[in-house]
Amino acid sequence: MTDILRVQGLRKAFGGVVVANGIDFSLSTGAMHCLIGPNGAGKSSFFRLLLGEHAPDAGTIIFDGSDITNLRSFQRIRRGISVKFQVPGIFKALSVRQNLEVAFQDHLNGQSLNTKIHEMLDFTDLHAEETTPAGNLSHGQQQWLEIAMAVGVEPKLLLLDEPTAGMSPDETRKTGEMLHDLNARGITILAVEHDMAFVEQIARRVTVLHFGSIFVEGTIAEIIDHPGVQEIYLGTADV
Amino acid sequence: MDLLQNVFAMLYQFGDTFAFLVISCAGLAVIFGMMGVINLAHGEFIMCGAYVTASAARAGLPLPVAILTGALVAGAVGMLVERMVIRHLYHRPLDSIIATWGISLIATQGVLIVLGSTMQGIGTPLGSIEVGSRSYSLYRLVLMVCALGLLGGLYLLFYHSRFGVIARATIQKPHMAHALGVNTGRMYGLTFGLGAALAGLAGGLYAPTMTMVPTMGATFIVESFVTVVVGGADIFVGAAPAAAILALIKAGLTAWYGQLFGQIGLLVTVILVIRILPGGLSGWLKGTTR
Amino acid sequence: MISSETTPRSRTRSLLARLEGPQTMGRGPAFWIAAAVAIAAAAAYPLTADAWTVGNAAYFLIWTFMAMGLGVVWGYAGALSFGQTAFFGLAGYAYGVITLNLGAAYGLTLVALVLAVAIGGLFALVIGYFMFYGRIQGVFIGIVTLSVTLVLETFMAQTAGPQWRIGEARLNGFNGMSGMPPLTLPWVGEDIALYPGPSLYYLLLGLVVICYLGLRIMLNSSFGNVLVAIRENPHRVGMLGYDVRLYQTLAFAIGGAFAALSGALYTAWGQYITPSSMGLTSAALPIIWVAVGGRRDITATLIGTIVVLAGFQSLTIYGSQYALVVMGALLLVTVLVAPQGLVVGAMTFLGRIFKKDKS
Ligand SMILES: Nc1ncnc2c1ncn2[C@@H]1O[C@H](COP(=O)(O)OP(=O)(O)O)[C@@H](O)[C@H]1O
Ligand SMILES: [Mg+2]
Repeated sequence: MTDILRVQGLRKAFGGVVVANGIDFSLSTGAMHCLIGPNGAGKSSFFRLLLGEHAPDAGTIIFDGSDITNLRSFQRIRRGISVKFQVPGIFKALSVRQNLEVAFQDHLNGQSLNTKIHEMLDFTDLHAEETTPAGNLSHGQQQWLEIAMAVGVEPKLLLLDEPTAGMSPDETRKTGEMLHDLNARGITILAVEHDMAFVEQIARRVTVLHFGSIFVEGTIAEIIDHPGVQEIYLGTADV
Repeated sequence: MDLLQNVFAMLYQFGDTFAFLVISCAGLAVIFGMMGVINLAHGEFIMCGAYVTASAARAGLPLPVAILTGALVAGAVGMLVERMVIRHLYHRPLDSIIATWGISLIATQGVLIVLGSTMQGIGTPLGSIEVGSRSYSLYRLVLMVCALGLLGGLYLLFYHSRFGVIARATIQKPHMAHALGVNTGRMYGLTFGLGAALAGLAGGLYAPTMTMVPTMGATFIVESFVTVVVGGADIFVGAAPAAAILALIKAGLTAWYGQLFGQIGLLVTVILVIRILPGGLSGWLKGTTR
Repeated sequence: MISSETTPRSRTRSLLARLEGPQTMGRGPAFWIAAAVAIAAAAAYPLTADAWTVGNAAYFLIWTFMAMGLGVVWGYAGALSFGQTAFFGLAGYAYGVITLNLGAAYGLTLVALVLAVAIGGLFALVIGYFMFYGRIQGVFIGIVTLSVTLVLETFMAQTAGPQWRIGEARLNGFNGMSGMPPLTLPWVGEDIALYPGPSLYYLLLGLVVICYLGLRIMLNSSFGNVLVAIRENPHRVGMLGYDVRLYQTLAFAIGGAFAALSGALYTAWGQYITPSSMGLTSAALPIIWVAVGGRRDITATLIGTIVVLAGFQSLTIYGSQYALVVMGALLLVTVLVAPQGLVVGAMTFLGRIFKKDKS
């Protein structure tokens, strides 16, 4: 199996704060992978580097066989990376339908756009809210809407930054099912997550990030049993 | 000797432009830096300061006192405007800018209605000095000193006074300042008043050198905008060097190609600076990266 | 009439379907009947008034293009431009210079009109490129655009000397240019010169209707969708794979071209143009029309502009300074009381009553 994403020696510092300290990371096509680590470990920054929102100080990012390190954000999206941010990034004043239109209209139109929107309304269970301004949705619904929008650009790789933050256990479980569904359709998924139960539900392998470096990578069982990881989360480890 | 004369002429030209940029942008920069509001009535506060100064001087007050009176009156009007309009728009900074444009229109045209299309001015005091074969206005040299004094005074006010500490805390962390018991509303009121007073001071200082017309504020607008834009969001770091650089460009172009090219040069500089340094000089000096 | 349920099959049908949509207020037969009545009334107006009054009404129509353009840039794309008058003035001068050099025969004034609009739009494209690709945002867009128009004013005001001429055309500094020909339609026998009066009025009315409907289509198209999304959350739009800066620049150029259309038509209407058309006071007026009407809806912008202009015109009897004080106060009141705009407020109100009646 080939790697959809390969990151080598990725480094980024803001003044004295090193948010990525020589990250080497690769992700095989079709994987469902989780990125965990304490607050401030640099998980969101890693996503922003992948997305081109920060320019790295050093390192390369190979996506789907080509070097995207110097591409602008929108060009990376067009190559097939998509993202759902930690803070819901939807168009609050626009209706749910308009949100989906903006996400899909670039490669679909007319009847096929309509079909796709209906499919996504089914997927997110938002049929009743089609004309509601997105800002009026519940927090969980906003997260789903954004996932649907992120999926709408038909990505090969979907980045999810804390997709279940603020969700009820029920909503969290449903989100997990959605992600399995997407993965089954061939989308590689990389998610930042805190909720270990959710991590167990979706991921086969897990990477732990700490102080901008990869601390350890392994199966869930390996990670949970790893003494160093427990110390990181209890705040006693010094690396 | 000729060389020395030319050097002095250039320095004078530079100093004059620098002083104009610093003095005219200070009020705008304080309000923008602290509140994120571009005060489009800036020119009208300048006009207010100039009119009051001229009236007070003709009523017999000594010029420095008249200028201070102008600044104080403009400041008081500023606090009133803040109280009545700006305060209701804090959560909508773009709307507050539009509102200041409405105020600007009302002020310019209102003064035109009440006081007519011109007012008797006051002559430039202090006469002139001779350097070589050319003569230079002594008052303009005083203005250069005033500009430096103004920068120094603002630095002391914002970095070494209780007001300054609280003010900067309020800009950076409004919620935190609020939680710590700072009366943020009053802070904003004082800041807006200070900005207006500084504009009034600019008007007072330049009143003896200008024709008194209701639209005189517009003369200052482009220069002060440009300085604030080039300076960037942190005016305390950015505005002074911006004024220096722009003064160099403008004085140079004006000397060689005339007034107009000086102004076009400013505009081109702004557009280039924005393209190259999106955060302005202060963003660049502070090393902000994307 | 187009109902929103039909699935458009042909290309024209799908374009026409875009006349209605979430980005524009007003849908369904009631709205279109009202619009048709309004246009019919506007078309009948010259029959009830003398030529001079009709020429004056034509003057109102001239400004609506600049207002609608600002509506697109500010209301829809979210970029607060204070300097639409720069494109207005540039195109006004361009029309003057071109017609004074080419003359009015063979419909060359129409060529001049098109060229002037292109020049204004191109200038907006360049300014927009530097602003948006330089990542200027928010208030800085306002400052830069305002500075551009004020510097242009200063520039034109100092062109009094005889060396400031382009071909036959003297720029004339502060006093501005005058004596350029009005729009002239080539015609068998004799050309028709469109001096202010009914025929110019009809031409402008036609242009307003075309531009208004065209903008409705554009704003409800996928381009318009992206513009409002950028206004709401530009970051997210970039993360959906759109080149946000390109869209902003294009919207700005379109807005500039509309301002340029107003400028060229203004010069043709009055046969003069002065630097003060780019000054601080002139620059404030489009902001007032659009803010008072309501910037987030093109219909509200159009109606608001015409109403405010008519009010302004009737106030200038007492002197333009009084009218301007009222304009300033109107702007203040709008911002403080009805930030969405007075026309939008009224339309929402009417819409609510209408719905209640139905149910
Ligand atoms: N633009 C920035 N400028 C300066 N520091 C930043 C910036 N972005 C993130 N940081 C810092 O980098 C560290 C990592 O942040 P982040 O990537 O958000 O962590 P996580 O998502 O793992 O909680 C934090 O200490 C944060 O303060
Ligand atoms: Mg994070």
